[in-house]
Amino acid sequence: MTLEKEEIKKLEEYAYQIRRLSVEMIAFSQWGHIGGAFSIAEIMAALYFREMKLDPRQPKMESRDRLILSKAHASPALYACLELAGFLPKNSIYKYCELGGLEGHTHVGSAPGIEASGGPLGMGLSVAVGMALGMRMKENPRSRVYCIMGDGEINEGNIWEAAMSAAHYHLDNVIAIVDYNKAMAKGFVWDQMNIEPVADKWAAFGWNVIEIDGHDMEQVVNALHEARWIKANGKPTAIIAHTVKGKGIETAEFNYKWHTHAPDAETADKFLRELSRTYGRPEQGYSKLNLKNTKDTFYGGE
Amino acid sequence: MAANSVEKDMRDAFGATLVELGHKHKNLIFLDADLHTSTKASYFKKAFPDRFIQVGIAEQNLFGISAGLASEGFIPMPSTFAVFASRRALDQIAISICFPKLNVIIPGSYVGIPTSRAGGSHNSIEDIAIMRAMPNMKVADPLCNNDLSAIMRTALETGGPVYFRITRYDVPEFFSDSHSFEWGKGITMREGSDITLFGTGVMTWKAMQTAEALEKKGISAEVIHLASIKPIDRELILKSVSKTGCAVTVENASTSGGFGDAVLEVISENHPVRVSKIGVVDSFIESGGIEELFSHYKMQPEHILAAATRMIQLTT
Repeated sequence: MTLEKEEIKKLEEYAYQIRRLSVEMIAFSQWGHIGGAFSIAEIMAALYFREMKLDPRQPKMESRDRLILSKAHASPALYACLELAGFLPKNSIYKYCELGGLEGHTHVGSAPGIEASGGPLGMGLSVAVGMALGMRMKENPRSRVYCIMGDGEINEGNIWEAAMSAAHYHLDNVIAIVDYNKAMAKGFVWDQMNIEPVADKWAAFGWNVIEIDGHDMEQVVNALHEARWIKANGKPTAIIAHTVKGKGIETAEFNYKWHTHAPDAETADKFLRELSRTYGRPEQGYSKLNLKNTKDTFYGGE
Repeated sequence: MAANSVEKDMRDAFGATLVELGHKHKNLIFLDADLHTSTKASYFKKAFPDRFIQVGIAEQNLFGISAGLASEGFIPMPSTFAVFASRRALDQIAISICFPKLNVIIPGSYVGIPTSRAGGSHNSIEDIAIMRAMPNMKVADPLCNNDLSAIMRTALETGGPVYFRITRYDVPEFFSDSHSFEWGKGITMREGSDITLFGTGVMTWKAMQTAEALEKKGISAEVIHLASIKPIDRELILKSVSKTGCAVTVENASTSGGFGDAVLEVISENHPVRVSKIGVVDSFIESGGIEELFSHYKMQPEHILAAATRMIQLTT
């Protein structure tokens, strides 16, 4: 499938906005995970603004597609999508990690359009399997359940229990996406716990496997299309998306030290200016630069 | 309240009630992790094969799948031994089910001492403490078959998350077929004035036997059955201890953070009196015969009686 240049440009603009809003909310709340939110920006843009059937006025409509962000610490990317897609009012992102606002890790109670609560890694794919079984029992053949997992996350045994059961029940309405950004919280995947040969593992568990460059919008869109329509052969599909942690900001790229790290206002400003230059936009910094920060900072990183 | 002499395994009542509820609630789905002939969920599988999901030996997946089904509008009942629910899959129960307050009904089978010969790995003694600590979770421990059936019916009506226990122990029937269960409501099994014996689960039977033995010694014991551990009947607890002035709690579980502590939380703040807790004290249960183990862990009527006598002596 060849995409028109305009469509790619539109989706890339969304990916840019997802990154911008992620920095805005993480800097404002002084908590969050930039690296893992940035690595899925293209995937989230393609899902929310092209592939998934959604209606912000009917967030629970039966015919919708479901998305579970199993790597729930990448929540800024999801909240950005929900705001950009109209599930949340504008500026809701500044309620990120605030009491009564958007939970640090995605939670059903935080906002409409969130399908599962998460945080502890390894759980989301099981929930996706349950939803997929439920959709089948309701004779809903159209909807798909997407589950985005981290690469380090698939160290968890629960993922493989779920993978085995999705294949066992022939759930070709489940599409798993592994965000293979090569960096975990405290080190690189091959040092912490090697997951290779990752594509072979999913194939051996009975899944279709598609391997893509997760930052190439055309590849992302095509893989999602293929997973929905072409590979619907009684097997679930895993998309192994090769990505770069922190993609879009040079100092954060491929740098596990930016797994958990909230930039201060000046750094956020620098990051956002760099992002706008990278995307060829007029230079635009951090919107809250002049606001005195009174919040406690929490650095999970080094 | 007199007990019926008919003794029947609680698991059969579980299976039979499941089928009854399956007819009533068309969206009830049973999920099993390779134990359905042990838990007697096999009755449900036979009646509703399309609503029975086998997940294999994968308890974390069992509860995760249940969360997904619940969010699609089904009422999943993921079933396994209580030890695997409370120990192996707690994170999934907490975050995938309790946090979003999903309608999942969890039966925990093979609890406490009567699991007997399987040993410490399979005897669930922490499940009451663990499950009642989960926000949004309701917890119940039935005394007998009709109590269990009533809890199951109410759980399906009021919605989850719910955790209830099923004990493999032959207990006489204390209630009629029309017995009903209400969350947060206890039952006065026997009125008394010198001490209150608070029981939950099958241990209320041992409390009843204790009360009979105490009566022979001229001591009037009130027995209150609290199948609903969370929420708990604060009013009934306080009313009783205000009258009797001391109490013993009895549970087929660890005394650390479980039922006894749930009763104590109410008493200590509102009407402090002396309370002794009977249960497994900070120990795994070793393999053994059922009554042998009840004796070994000092949970027989004679031990409850000794605790009651001590509480009365210290109070007066």
